[in-house]
Amino acid sequence: MSRPFNSHMRRRDFLRTSAAAGTMALAAPRLALAQGASDLTMHTWSAAVDTVQSHLNAFTASSGINVNYGNSPWAQYREGMVTKFVGGAPLDMMWVSDAWLPEWVEAGWIAPVDGFKNLTQYNSEAEEFCNDSMTYNGRQYGLTYYTDYMAFLYDEEKVKAAGFDAPPTTWDEVVEQSLVMKEKGISDYPMMLAMAQESWLIEFMSTLVFSHGGRFIDENGMSSMTSEKDGAMEALQWVVDAVSKHGIVSPACVETGELSGLKAFASGNHAFAMVAKYRLRMLNDPEQSQVAGNVQQTLMPKGGNGAHNTVGWMRFHGMSSQAAADPIRAEATAKLIEWFGGKSDGAYKFQKLLFLDIGAGFGVKPLFDDPEIKAAYNAYGDVEVIKAQQSLAMQKDVVTPWFGEWNETNGTAWQSAILGNTDVASAIAKSSDAWDELKEDY
Amino acid sequence: MTDTVNIQPGRSRLRAAFGYEERSAMIFLAPVMLVLMLVAVFPILYSLYLSFFRIKLTRPNRTPFVWLDNYTDLFGNELFWTSVARTVVFSVVSVSAIAVIALLVSLLLNQDFRFRRVLSTIILVPWAIPYVANALMWKWIYDSGYGALNGLLFQLDFISRYMVFLGDQNKTIYLIANAFVWKEVPLATILLLVSLKAIPSDLYAAARVDGATVWSRFVHVTLPAMKPGFLLVMIYETMMAIRHFDLFFILTEGGPGDASHVLSWHIYVETFRNLSFGSGAAMSYVLALVTFALSYIFIRTLGRRV
Repeated sequence: MSRPFNSHMRRRDFLRTSAAAGTMALAAPRLALAQGASDLTMHTWSAAVDTVQSHLNAFTASSGINVNYGNSPWAQYREGMVTKFVGGAPLDMMWVSDAWLPEWVEAGWIAPVDGFKNLTQYNSEAEEFCNDSMTYNGRQYGLTYYTDYMAFLYDEEKVKAAGFDAPPTTWDEVVEQSLVMKEKGISDYPMMLAMAQESWLIEFMSTLVFSHGGRFIDENGMSSMTSEKDGAMEALQWVVDAVSKHGIVSPACVETGELSGLKAFASGNHAFAMVAKYRLRMLNDPEQSQVAGNVQQTLMPKGGNGAHNTVGWMRFHGMSSQAAADPIRAEATAKLIEWFGGKSDGAYKFQKLLFLDIGAGFGVKPLFDDPEIKAAYNAYGDVEVIKAQQSLAMQKDVVTPWFGEWNETNGTAWQSAILGNTDVASAIAKSSDAWDELKEDY
Repeated sequence: MTDTVNIQPGRSRLRAAFGYEERSAMIFLAPVMLVLMLVAVFPILYSLYLSFFRIKLTRPNRTPFVWLDNYTDLFGNELFWTSVARTVVFSVVSVSAIAVIALLVSLLLNQDFRFRRVLSTIILVPWAIPYVANALMWKWIYDSGYGALNGLLFQLDFISRYMVFLGDQNKTIYLIANAFVWKEVPLATILLLVSLKAIPSDLYAAARVDGATVWSRFVHVTLPAMKPGFLLVMIYETMMAIRHFDLFFILTEGGPGDASHVLSWHIYVETFRNLSFGSGAAMSYVLALVTFALSYIFIRTLGRRV
């Protein structure tokens, strides 16, 4: 019985064919690279994946540039990206959080984009804190993808039931109204604060500090948090008193994460909450919230030296250093960044799509005048209050290359003070010392 | 010819040292050994090498060789010693509880009674649950706002308002230990039950003839015969407790404050949040050495009398 292999191919033919196939396999990637020289690689975290993909398809159709799109969960994004950078994985455009900007710049992984006029032309229409958040050492590193800020929300029905005509405007009034609510049995813990050790914690702490008129660091980057008047002491003291003296914030706040706190507020356990502004939509959705229709936003209460300030955060489209090193790729990447972060076909399409799709905030002011956006916002909030609070948002002042390391110590110190393990002054001093040590180390 | 003459003595020595079967075994085992070298031995040695450098992924251009600084720095690291103390408390509490509960359950399962097999199966359930699922389940149980434990205590009128469990620094480590014990008891029970089953019934019969009471039979027959099982349980569970991470990650992330900041959490933060691979590797080696040392102590003390 003859074997088919032998009948069609001799040993020498087989070796010859194998060698040819091997050569082809080795050469294929280079050939592909040569053919698709304009192909770009883009990586994001896993948010609005379908919206991103469809906007990307429109980009490819419009520019003829192919883009390899990948995404990974937010929780592992930073570590995954650092590994990609260190390993030299191909990457042209990526989403960047303002918290990582100094770290990634200092490591040489991302490149400034202020040399591209098609990108900087949008700066005049962006919120000031957005431009600040994308800037490091005087250079701009991207265009806005999404921005939001910490909002102060209240349950209108509970405020009225407590006998107040208007929501609190100062932190003292928050205490005053909360104590009345406790007395009347409206809520055991009227104020919801989520102070668990997670990535949201710094946003809550910054809001408390900024709204009290304080700062973590001064203009020279040195710690100013121990300052009585304009540091972080007053803010932390307010939280400690709210938990242990007045009992208006649950002692469980140190184990309450942002999502748990949100659910507790949505189920009607609290009267006041400090949450990201985009949560307002969910809280006024009857299918997701038991207090739907009652949740209103007001300006962040202010402390002694405060002025209703809050913290804003930014996520933006950045360009990798490897893309910037090649003028052709850099040009194509800048086009891609503009398509997403600037205008595509003459309008801020992507930011509008994101807002309408998942309620994500936008950093460009003209969108506030868009009739569709106004209508969407007014369905669950007051667009004027939203706009007014956004203009009072401030960039986190602690964003530096050592931010991540300091943040661990700072979070633990605040929690220790809230739990009564240490006094406010010692907790802030510990955080301040850690800052100065890390600054010196870097 | 000359070549053949030169090669022959080497071949002969190899043949003399190893028989046909040994040589065959070597050839067949070589691929596995190679894989093990690549995926186990090399990473272990490489991490030791890394521990002598100040490596921080976010500072790729500055990775100085620092000799043993990553190790000596630990002595002055207050948080490191806090984490060691927390690890000791967690390990002692949980291993003691596991040993006692597993002993009681194994004694129960060693008796003949109706539904014994059903009970044995039910007791194994926690063991079958993955650690992450176990942690998420306990997170729901302990929650201060909607937790099942609060609900139960409230319904039974033991409490008038929901209590803070994981957020209470004085309870946190013990509550996590409880979740760990719940998961580990089944395996420890099986290991002890095997020891129990191996005790010859003649010993008990002889003890009865000598007039030994139930307690005497337990102390003088059962417990000594269970020593090999206990040794295994103590070594295994101590290693598991010292290295345990999942429950701390999901339940508290080291908090509140530093109440559950154990060694494994400290290493995770240093390595994967601060991205300091050099010092993280050094800490991991310290943890490994401590685990080895404890195992050695157990074997020397308990094992000597087995």
